[in-house]
Amino acid sequence: MRGITQRFGAVTALDNVDLEVEKGAIHAIVGENGAGKTTLMRILYGAQRPTEGALEIDEQSVEFATSKQAIAAGIGMVSQHYGIIPELSCLQNLILGAEGGLIIDSAKATERAQALATKMGFEFDWPALAATLSPGATQKLEILKLLWRNARIMILDEPTAMLSPADGDALFASMRQLASEGATVLLVTHRLPEVMDHCSRVTVLRGGKWVAEKAVSETNTKELAQLIVGTSEPFPVLAATPVASQKEGLKIENLVVRGERGEDKLKSVSLTAKRGEILGIAGVDGSGQRELFHAIAGTLSPKSGEISMDGAAWTKASTADRIEGGLRVIPEDRHAEGVVEAWSLEENSALGLQRLPALAKGPWVDLEARKTWAEQVAAKFKTRHGGLGLPMASLSGGNQQRFVAARALEMSPQLILAFQPARGLDLGGSAHVYQAIRGRVTAEAVAVIVSFDLDELLEHCDRIVVMNRGRLSEPSPGQGKDRDAIGRLIVGVT
Amino acid sequence: MNWRLVALIVGSLALLAGAVMMAGASPAVALSTLFKGSLGSPQAISGTLRESTPLLIAGLAVFLSLRAGLFNIGVEGQLIVGACACSVIALRFPGPIGIILGTLGAMIAGALWALPAALIKAYRNGHEVITTIMLNNIAGYFTGYLVAGPIRAPGQQNTTTADITPSTHLPNVFNNGPLTVNIGIFVGIVLAILAALWLKRTVAGYELQTVGANSTAAKLAGIRTERVIVKAMLASGAIAGLGGAIQVLAYEGRFYLGFSPGYGFDGLGIALLAGGSAYGVIPAGFLFGVLAKGGVSLGIQQIPKGITVVVLGMAILIAAAIRYRKVKTVA
Repeated sequence: MRGITQRFGAVTALDNVDLEVEKGAIHAIVGENGAGKTTLMRILYGAQRPTEGALEIDEQSVEFATSKQAIAAGIGMVSQHYGIIPELSCLQNLILGAEGGLIIDSAKATERAQALATKMGFEFDWPALAATLSPGATQKLEILKLLWRNARIMILDEPTAMLSPADGDALFASMRQLASEGATVLLVTHRLPEVMDHCSRVTVLRGGKWVAEKAVSETNTKELAQLIVGTSEPFPVLAATPVASQKEGLKIENLVVRGERGEDKLKSVSLTAKRGEILGIAGVDGSGQRELFHAIAGTLSPKSGEISMDGAAWTKASTADRIEGGLRVIPEDRHAEGVVEAWSLEENSALGLQRLPALAKGPWVDLEARKTWAEQVAAKFKTRHGGLGLPMASLSGGNQQRFVAARALEMSPQLILAFQPARGLDLGGSAHVYQAIRGRVTAEAVAVIVSFDLDELLEHCDRIVVMNRGRLSEPSPGQGKDRDAIGRLIVGVT
Repeated sequence: MNWRLVALIVGSLALLAGAVMMAGASPAVALSTLFKGSLGSPQAISGTLRESTPLLIAGLAVFLSLRAGLFNIGVEGQLIVGACACSVIALRFPGPIGIILGTLGAMIAGALWALPAALIKAYRNGHEVITTIMLNNIAGYFTGYLVAGPIRAPGQQNTTTADITPSTHLPNVFNNGPLTVNIGIFVGIVLAILAALWLKRTVAGYELQTVGANSTAAKLAGIRTERVIVKAMLASGAIAGLGGAIQVLAYEGRFYLGFSPGYGFDGLGIALLAGGSAYGVIPAGFLFGVLAKGGVSLGIQQIPKGITVVVLGMAILIAAAIRYRKVKTVA
């Protein structure tokens, strides 16, 4: 890709960017939110036409008017926003758009699908609805979709954000295998260790401009971090300060929650999260974190057990009552659970807080207060936006996440319930969000954070508990921050 | 404004002109007949406003449910039972008291007719389109039975109730000879303005629209989506019932078999055309009224009045093309 420039009106998203990737390489593209990584990949994938610049594949000049042409040229992309349709089966999703004829031979398709899955070390129940898949499994299905289309150049936009460490490693093993067979992998990521461990070269973008291209063997995470942000300022992790609160915090006793098929997804879970504490919940995807999260939020009613906050019973309290009591949620999937994409930032800023006195005068929406509030939310983590009246959909994923996180943290939260709060955020954004959480916790709030990224939890949490198949366990005393000990609990080996 | 949109509009008009010519008429004559018949004289305007009234209110009923993510196809049935209930009550209690009780009764009847669909949707996730269509049929046959028997006007051969007394009629605001405008149209306009303000300015309106836009996010935002669905459906039904009442009290003066020529279904088109704001229901309802009234004149001129339906279909398509454009990422 040479001299790629992309302008959206007055905004220049990419400014004369070059990118050269060798065949058979795993090439990383790193940069802050809004650096232009995704835009560059969308151009390569034919989803966008560059204002200026040229593309070459195998030394042949190419031009893609649509992504269909890019697919035909062997380019495939898995975006941050999944393209899986929940109402279709796994197999139907896999072959969607590449059925290879008017009549679908299910048996033959299943056979090939199974062969691809086995090759990658994945497992799928092909006739099952895609709605039943965890986000991690959805990501795997997306990757299989590329293989199904015989992609030779694969673009993965933050593929491991939703995966457990083990799944992530397995994914990269498969990527390396594919690369050794001649495929080219372009990896867009915020996780520098991933770059160091699995990639051969790395390109750094900043503010839409090309900054550097390095061989991974000749660089280190520190240098990359500096290149990404453009300064040598590190992002400190704020230390825990003990608080002497008289209040109990969040207490959960013998909680049982049923899943969709009537099975117990949470099997008698008990935990306490004291005021002044950041509690991390680790575990591989699908271990019951989601059910625990929604039980605390009040969007799933437990079969049995008790939830209380500062001694007040929450088991039967509505989500609205819990929000009034100080609950603030950073949901797992901001698209589906956190925002209304078609609405303005201003309207979205009130979502979940709409009944609180700060934003409502009795039954009336306080429009002026909401406007000020939206400005405050956008400013908190420096959300890049084109105006508070523009729809949420006009923001990039990282900027949406900043907005959603700020909304949850700004209005005096008492219980911060967050599911991967730094999802899709760059180093700076992630550091700011965790600094803000620490700030709230120092002011006696409670934070409960669910993440599949154990390193993230180890870095930011005071205490980590582990979920495994619906049960909760705690590392034995003295091993509270022992990565290996927690890792063993995560996979259920004692 | 981009070239695709211009092409769409020009193409639609060309198609329309072609259709008129194929029907053996001149497009220019058709257009002038249409506008003369609907807006060309005080009588025509009176008629257009009269046609617009039930359309506007029915459109508003659909619009409100649409904001909550519900497709209330049942406005037709709710309007019919509302009109039927209003006639019965207004006949029993003549005078202003009959107007008030009849209106209230109609709203309650409309809301009750929407209730089963609301409950089935909220608590069993049965699709409201299916249930309301079935309730429409029940409403049609049930009121047909009533008007053929129990509430038929004594001594009448036709399936109709008796006429309500003039004192039970809604008054005309303008009564200057050929230009007569009933208060009914203003009730509809005021209602649309109130609905727009309610949706924009109240927490309940915000919550209703959240449910419609993203019900999963609404749940996490502390909104009881089931209750909102039931309330939105009941409100939609009540407005539809009110539309039936106004039609009886302002214009028809009675209820009869075949009372609604499909106001509820036109309401769907009006709500879609209205876009994102309840204010949009007012011009959309008026446009439907113009075409309904003008269509009659076309018929007299031997020009197929089905053309007006084609116009409406194209208007809705163009509106949709404008509304559902992709949002571009800017940051």
